[in-house]
Amino acid sequence: MAAIILHQHRSRPRKATSESPFSRWLIIGIAVVFMALMFVLPLVVIFQEAFRKGWEGYMEAFDDRATTHAIWLTLQVAAITVPLNTLFGLAAAWCVSRFQFRGKRLLTALIELPLWVSPVIAGMVYVLLFGAQGLFGPSLKEHSIKIIFALPGIVLSTIFVTFTFVARVLAPQMEAQGQAEEEAAMTLGANGWQMFWRVTLPKIKWGLLYGIILCNARSMGEFGAVSVVSGHIRNKTNTVPLHIEVLYNEYQFVPAFAVASVLALLALVTLILKTLTTTPRGAA
Amino acid sequence: MSIHIHNISKSFGSFNALKNVDLEVKTGELVALLGPSGSGKTTLLRIIAGLEFADEGAGSIEFHGSDVTNRTAYERKAGFVFQNYALFNHMTVAENIAFGLRVMKRPERPSREDIDRSVTELLRRIALEGYGNRYPTQLSGGQRQRVALARALAVGPQVLLLDEPFGALDAKVRKTLRKWLRQFHDETRVTTLFVTHDQDEAFELADRVVILHEGHIQQVGSPAQLRENPENEFVADFLDSVMI
Repeated sequence: MAAIILHQHRSRPRKATSESPFSRWLIIGIAVVFMALMFVLPLVVIFQEAFRKGWEGYMEAFDDRATTHAIWLTLQVAAITVPLNTLFGLAAAWCVSRFQFRGKRLLTALIELPLWVSPVIAGMVYVLLFGAQGLFGPSLKEHSIKIIFALPGIVLSTIFVTFTFVARVLAPQMEAQGQAEEEAAMTLGANGWQMFWRVTLPKIKWGLLYGIILCNARSMGEFGAVSVVSGHIRNKTNTVPLHIEVLYNEYQFVPAFAVASVLALLALVTLILKTLTTTPRGAA
Repeated sequence: MSIHIHNISKSFGSFNALKNVDLEVKTGELVALLGPSGSGKTTLLRIIAGLEFADEGAGSIEFHGSDVTNRTAYERKAGFVFQNYALFNHMTVAENIAFGLRVMKRPERPSREDIDRSVTELLRRIALEGYGNRYPTQLSGGQRQRVALARALAVGPQVLLLDEPFGALDAKVRKTLRKWLRQFHDETRVTTLFVTHDQDEAFELADRVVILHEGHIQQVGSPAQLRENPENEFVADFLDSVMI
């Protein structure tokens, strides 16, 4: 009798949806092995290769004009792209979550476009529009404005690729929060600007920060779209990802992986910040 | 301040929420908008506040004789208390109450000291002295309700609009707050409209009750008038069924 009671006490009631221990461990095991092989191992390899010639070899990689220029260019691109896409993303999310209008579903779909269009196409489009043989090519040349194979082109294609992040994070959040607080602010005499700064922004700030972090990470790491429009001109239009490819193709493995480790670190920092901004904190 | 609603209609797509509504509310009156859900009472309240706009056409809304039909909520400044209070959760109770004063244009805005004084005074009136530094999430439903009311009153509105003010509260708190609101209204005499689906509430609180059904006003009158002389089948039926 006692044994039976004890037994009942020990075995937790199994939920209808829970798996048997065997399949549970199998699923977890597969996931862990997959993550280790696909994500952790490559990360380890990057740092291992980068430090193959020790700390000095690693630092030497950055003592190179082309490398420092690539880093500087990438920072510039991010510094232009991220604020613009924060604005565009906010505007798009606002539009989609606050208004009912014809074509709303099309706009919602367009926000996600960068996720399912190959970045190469994003680059190609701008070449076709602004390149020497492109639609606006001749008139741009007339006014000696250079977009393709120059900073504007790189920024444009990066904006295209990273537009989605802020908008995608914010739109569902703003929709879920509703606008009762905004309406309350209005009946209390707040104008649109005061409403945004004092009521809306504090409500969405974590989501917004999360979107900005993702947007920043992607704008620094974008390869495909930038590759098409930049022309790979060393010391001029090579961003960090493009520069890594150049170094690698020139068999400069240590510098290639050293620079790559910077992007990898950026990814890790992004991951940490992302976790921090999405953990429920005073969900109020 | 009196409110004059003339021939207001509102449709959402093919659904007609309000059809040719006429209503007059006198200065200092306490009026209940009563009806089953979907009868258009909240829509009417939101149109009065300027949170929703009536269909274009003949209709008009006047506040104390001046036409506000095309004014925004921000210009009308009717005190509005939302069904779920819509308090600013990232601000303290005191900051919530001070919000309407702080967003005023500089020439009209009271000094910091005056704002603090009004907030303290309002906290006292809603019996929440010492709660100024709390956040709305730390308050009970009844307390939040009172904060929402104080926030609306801080700017000294001439019209007070309440959407299901006691809807989310338990029966006991509801009774207490009802009495408190009636008393409060008797002291301040701010023209007040409130939406409810609870007949007891409407009849106990209001000077006059407006009964709405399917976007039409069925009857307007004092609780006694409505009880004794229901004008049509719906009113008789509705009052009866709830009385049981």
